Amino acid sequence: MMKKILLSLVIIFLGSGALMAESLTQLEGSFKTGPAIILIATLVTFVLVGVFFRAKDPADYYAAGRKISKVGSGMAIASNWMSAASVLGMAGMMYGFGYNGLAYVVGWTGGYVLLLILMAAQIRKYGKYTAPDFIGDRYYSRDLRIVSAIFTILISFAYCVGQFGGIGLMFKWILGLDYAWAVIIGSSVVLMYTLISGMIGATKNMQIQYVIIVVSFLLPIFILAFKFDYFWMLPQIGYGAAVSDIVQGIPAPNISNGMALLNAYGHDFSIVPSPEFAMPWDPSTGTTFFQWVAICFSLMVGTAGLPHVIQRFYVVPKVTDARWSVVWGLFFICLVYWTAPAYSTFGKLLSSNPEVGVLAKDAIVVYTAQLGGVNSLVVGLLAAGAISAAFSTVAGLLVAGASAFSHDLYVKVINPGATPKIQLRIARIGTIIMALAVTIVALMKLGLIAQLVSVAFSMAACTIFPLFLLGIWWSGSNRAGAKAGLFAGILVTTVSLVYFIVGLSGGRLPGQEFISYWLNVWYFAWIGAPLAVIVNIVVSKLTTPTPLEIKKFLAEQVHN
Amino acid sequence: MESSDNYNFSLFKPRNLHGKKNRNVILVMLIIWSVAVFGFQFLLRGIEKPTPEKTLADFESVWPQAISKDLSSVDYKTLLNSLILVKGKNMVKPDDQKILNEAITCITFNLIPDSIRSVILSGISNINSMKARISGAKDQEFLDLKTSILEEQKRISVMTTDFHVFVQGGLEEKIFLGSLVATYPGSLSDNSLGRLPEIMKLYLIHNQSVLTDAIFLGFPFHYFYTAVFLLILFIGLCIVYNILIEWRLKKEGIVE
Repeated sequence: MMKKILLSLVIIFLGSGALMAESLTQLEGSFKTGPAIILIATLVTFVLVGVFFRAKDPADYYAAGRKISKVGSGMAIASNWMSAASVLGMAGMMYGFGYNGLAYVVGWTGGYVLLLILMAAQIRKYGKYTAPDFIGDRYYSRDLRIVSAIFTILISFAYCVGQFGGIGLMFKWILGLDYAWAVIIGSSVVLMYTLISGMIGATKNMQIQYVIIVVSFLLPIFILAFKFDYFWMLPQIGYGAAVSDIVQGIPAPNISNGMALLNAYGHDFSIVPSPEFAMPWDPSTGTTFFQWVAICFSLMVGTAGLPHVIQRFYVVPKVTDARWSVVWGLFFICLVYWTAPAYSTFGKLLSSNPEVGVLAKDAIVVYTAQLGGVNSLVVGLLAAGAISAAFSTVAGLLVAGASAFSHDLYVKVINPGATPKIQLRIARIGTIIMALAVTIVALMKLGLIAQLVSVAFSMAACTIFPLFLLGIWWSGSNRAGAKAGLFAGILVTTVSLVYFIVGLSGGRLPGQEFISYWLNVWYFAWIGAPLAVIVNIVVSKLTTPTPLEIKKFLAEQVHN
Repeated sequence: MESSDNYNFSLFKPRNLHGKKNRNVILVMLIIWSVAVFGFQFLLRGIEKPTPEKTLADFESVWPQAISKDLSSVDYKTLLNSLILVKGKNMVKPDDQKILNEAITCITFNLIPDSIRSVILSGISNINSMKARISGAKDQEFLDLKTSILEEQKRISVMTTDFHVFVQGGLEEKIFLGSLVATYPGSLSDNSLGRLPEIMKLYLIHNQSVLTDAIFLGFPFHYFYTAVFLLILFIGLCIVYNILIEWRLKKEGIVE
């Protein structure tokens, strides 16, 4: 009875439901008024929040004046973390590659356990603003500060490229714009408010963005589970039956409460048996067991080495807040990560009809809601949520990149006497340069969003992570070891990137296929990160020990 | 003079009792974490067996007759059904789809009389030209083209219904109609003959085991474990770690 009442309400309030299918709709194409209004209202809110909470000095710009609570910081961590890759890309990977897509879900959450038990509190105790700050100080090396600052910028850059791609896709969908214009407009808006606000504005925005992301991401999945007769009260569990249905197949017509279940095109909600969607490393998906493990490991280790994530622990007032903000952040992240596979599952079912065909992976979340006949305003909110996710991450990345540029390169290396006003100006110039460069690369569409982002993770895992891990946990790791380890990490990164770029341009190098598989650009950290750690240890053992004052500081301040 | 050795430490060799207890917690957490994540995947890998779908057995039972061109009408329908069930999986690569389409068209038209075949071929050409136009169409033009395509498909559906076992208007019939191409090759090309068995094996054999076949809360168990349980475990590990660390700090009177 309850279900029938709710069903009637859904039909009345959500209009274009599958049961009264508004057939022959278009997934792409024209300008969508409702979603556009939601998007514009969202963006205006971001800018106003940015202005209201704008940075007044460098401490505000880099570390939000250390005024953020642990729950607030957890929301900011989640929002900063949940990028277009989480909201759009992850479901796309599962839609396209089945069980192997789950390596992204596990990799992007499991890394937080490493981050918590090995890094969070220790980083906060060390008391430095940025990742290069820590590395330069811990390894008493100006060179390492410079190189790590450059890599911080490169990692932020690689991460941003996927985000700008996601922004472009959603602007294209809502505004009916060309992809290139969509990227340019989206990047201009995110640049504007990052410049005005710095991290304190960004942190406040991140909390608002988190609420938008969660509400917009969860609402359609409740509606879809309800409409297609799965356990809708907890769709994150309810979609399990849909996974099994995909494996076994659903014959048409699929009847519920005496009515045929249809997608927005009026097609049956049915599918031929498709175990490849759920079975591990299915040969038909072109993926392997090794790739599952390599991707998962690279993403986990990369999580604990991403400068813009590590940087968030500087903004909490106390060490205990750093620890609990990880827990809150992970919980908030998981709310979305439990839901993303449900989108790919419903997307699979709703696109099984040959007239729909295989959908663009990076837009599967929005297409699924659309094909499920969810009201266009709710789908618009979902798209705005995806844009929020990309915006919040980009803001954090631009701040991290700008910090590395102004604080670690300009102030610490080029002009130590720079006034706070000059520092702020340099940070803003750095942000503009980076945003422009990212926009240009994003226009090239080099890969799927999740794959592009995973490059940043592997880079971080090979370069920043080993320096933090050994810098915190082994007093014997010295400057020479750090330099050698960093060199090993950079070497693996360079080889992988060179082979990727050559392969992309149609060229071939010796061992192209071997390197493209074993040192693939999406997961090369599986070997790069352990290698960097081993080299660091070996060289440290063979060279002059770490100075007394560094060991003493670590022992008394970080581990006491 | 202060010795540098007094301050030596590592994760495995902490400097004091507090550090040792902390190390134990960290190592236990790391072991649980790594076994839960990677141990399970290795277990999955270790016990899996390549398991074919029933459709593969159907295909293999009639494929030798297809090669020797000795198919009965029942065999034709069995073969067609198995090809459709693979074509309907939307992970099929474009090259493989092409071969499947060619095979489905060839098998179907072998059964259909010449007079009907030519009408169907012209209908397919018509649909193809409308499909080419629809990608650039918007609003009313899009709807008109879509309606015309559906009408043409219905016409072909009526003409072909005696030559297959699919329910009219059902998913399999739609896959079937969408697979027909506008050229009738007469017989399967050497490439199709060589590649079809490989294609069928690629899409119809899966890595399965007791962990993938067991159902838990509606999920295949391994899917639930990876997509749902591991995330719960990560949060649980983090909470337990924080509580343990803070309890110990409080007990030992350490203020961070």
